[in-house]
Amino acid sequence: MYHLALKMLFSDRAKYIMLVSGLTFATLLMTQQAAVFFGILAWTNGNLKNMRAPIWVVDPKVEQANEIKSMRDTDVGRVRSIKGVEWAVPMYWGILQSRLSDGTFKAVQLVGLDSATMIGRPGNMIAGRIEDIRVPNTVVIDDLAVERLSKGRPKPIGIGDVFEINDKEARVAGICKTEKSFFGYPYIFTTYDQALQFAPKTRKMLSFILAHPAKGMTAKQACLEIEKETGLKAYTEEEFGLATIKWFFVNTGIPFSFFTTILMGFIVGVAIAGQTFYSFVLENLKHIGALKAMGASDWLLTRMVALQAFTVGLLGYGIGLGLTIVFGLLVLRKGMPPFSLPWQLPAVTFVIIMFICTFAALLGIAKVRKLEPAIVFRG
Amino acid sequence: MDNQQHKIGSNEYAVQVHGVIKSFGSGDAKTVALKGVDFDARQGELLMIVGPSGCGKTTLLSVIAGTLAFDAGKVNVFGNPLHAMSKSETTLFRGKNIGFIFQQFNLIPTLSCVENVSVPLLINGATRAAAEKKATEVLEVVGLKGRENERPTNLSGGQQQRVAIARSLVHEPRLIICDEPTSALDKDNGAKIMELLREIARAPDRCVIVVSHDNRIYHFADRMTEMEDGKVQRVHETYKPVNFKDQ
Ligand SMILES: Nc1ncnc2c1ncn2[C@@H]1O[C@H](COP(=O)(O)OP(=O)(O)O)[C@@H](O)[C@H]1O
Ligand SMILES: [Mg+2]
Repeated sequence: MYHLALKMLFSDRAKYIMLVSGLTFATLLMTQQAAVFFGILAWTNGNLKNMRAPIWVVDPKVEQANEIKSMRDTDVGRVRSIKGVEWAVPMYWGILQSRLSDGTFKAVQLVGLDSATMIGRPGNMIAGRIEDIRVPNTVVIDDLAVERLSKGRPKPIGIGDVFEINDKEARVAGICKTEKSFFGYPYIFTTYDQALQFAPKTRKMLSFILAHPAKGMTAKQACLEIEKETGLKAYTEEEFGLATIKWFFVNTGIPFSFFTTILMGFIVGVAIAGQTFYSFVLENLKHIGALKAMGASDWLLTRMVALQAFTVGLLGYGIGLGLTIVFGLLVLRKGMPPFSLPWQLPAVTFVIIMFICTFAALLGIAKVRKLEPAIVFRG
Repeated sequence: MDNQQHKIGSNEYAVQVHGVIKSFGSGDAKTVALKGVDFDARQGELLMIVGPSGCGKTTLLSVIAGTLAFDAGKVNVFGNPLHAMSKSETTLFRGKNIGFIFQQFNLIPTLSCVENVSVPLLINGATRAAAEKKATEVLEVVGLKGRENERPTNLSGGQQQRVAIARSLVHEPRLIICDEPTSALDKDNGAKIMELLREIARAPDRCVIVVSHDNRIYHFADRMTEMEDGKVQRVHETYKPVNFKDQ
């Protein structure tokens, strides 16, 4: 009987297409929007991913990793002197203007690394060596900088080329690869001391203190000790990431607007699938009644209806997920908009689509079960 | 008619109905459609149930077919007591023992003829291949060889009813139930369908019950049960012309 159930479904072209495209649309909307949203969340943690350190010490008023309340240089020494800390180094991070050779300006994120240890250095060098930033007025730029700063040049900016950061000359000593970040500006790495030269002078210039727990201590234990001894705020890498995401949820409307769109995908899915499937069952009620009269059990008819519902569900989900992946591949090549598709996301969408199909099937099944086979003899 | 010859539960009876009462609705809207019906059908006969519109023919047929629960009375079909069966037992019983032919054919328009005819076998658990093989053979018996893969909507009314007859026969049920099988057909096609049904009824061990108020086909009946107002009025052993007001 199952092949007949499927044939009845496929033969009702209009409803079949409506069902599959409704579920495709719901899958696409939910998965794609959630992937873009997760992409944004991943970007908010860009600083943490690019300048990796187990402990981040900041001013107590800092709530997230894309925010600066500068500290005093002497704070590094205070952190360093704590027993639970193996090492602690300063880091500068700030957004500055760089001038291109055609005279236009582009914003960049300047990162100043501790010159002795290079802690916070980029994880992936494409060309040159990070140690070369110790040479005066040199920097390592990331791949995004190559793209953005090459404007007006005969060939892409490379090692040995010069551009200006905040009106001061910087020579490229290397190129690295970085993860996308919240502000979306290119990263420029130099030493901490040189970063202070590039940046406009202010009373306090220290953005982060990166630290490592002493042997036998967890990062969390060290953080508690740092906070107690210095009055500064110390986050483990993981805490800082979560705090950043939490801040993003509490302080921006972005999660809410994504949630609304995803909810809309769900509602559209429920409405189209539920309504169309129910009317499909209603239209076939006369035939279902005849099948019942001819001895088809409720259980057999239930399985037939469920097969029809889950067939359109799987097709819609498959096509929707396929379209999402195509979208993802296209935007990942372009780098915009953000996109992140962890496996849990399609899994959750799958569960939701199956839920929608179950709902639609139950509507039909309830109708079928209530149907009296005697109706077949009534006009 | 000698009822003493046929004892309740005897195998010579295809169907025995005793004292069946069936009402619809309740309170002021209550309609008693069957008011204590006694009725029988024998093996090897084509029995017709006739009577004016609204007298309870379809209701009686539904009770016999096991598609409608009744309030009181006994119904035996080939010795099986429908009144003592659970709903799911009745469903199983219908699937194995009863063939249905409807006024509007009730073929599934999106399925081919052979698929439509294979349905009763599939319901009884046959494989698709076996069911379609048998369905093809039965379509040939009803004169539709070569039309197996067409959709029923491409056939004439008479041909569609032949498909329905093939479907009612394919699983070799002992009782075939037809509600107004010719009323959607013209005279010639109606007569051809009735000839086919009478042939089918003549097999031993079989019985065809036809509800009709189409007097053009009364002469195909072996016996005729005349109903009026929820009761059986008369049983005619052979065809006699009857006139009803609403024809
Ligand atoms: N499902 C139902 N609900 C309410 N009344 C019904 C129902 N089915 C039949 N009836 C009533 O029962 C009586 C007998 O109907 P029916 O058996 O269809 O008569 P016939 O087939 O002889 O025309 C009629 O009065 C009809 O209105
Ligand atoms: Mg009727």
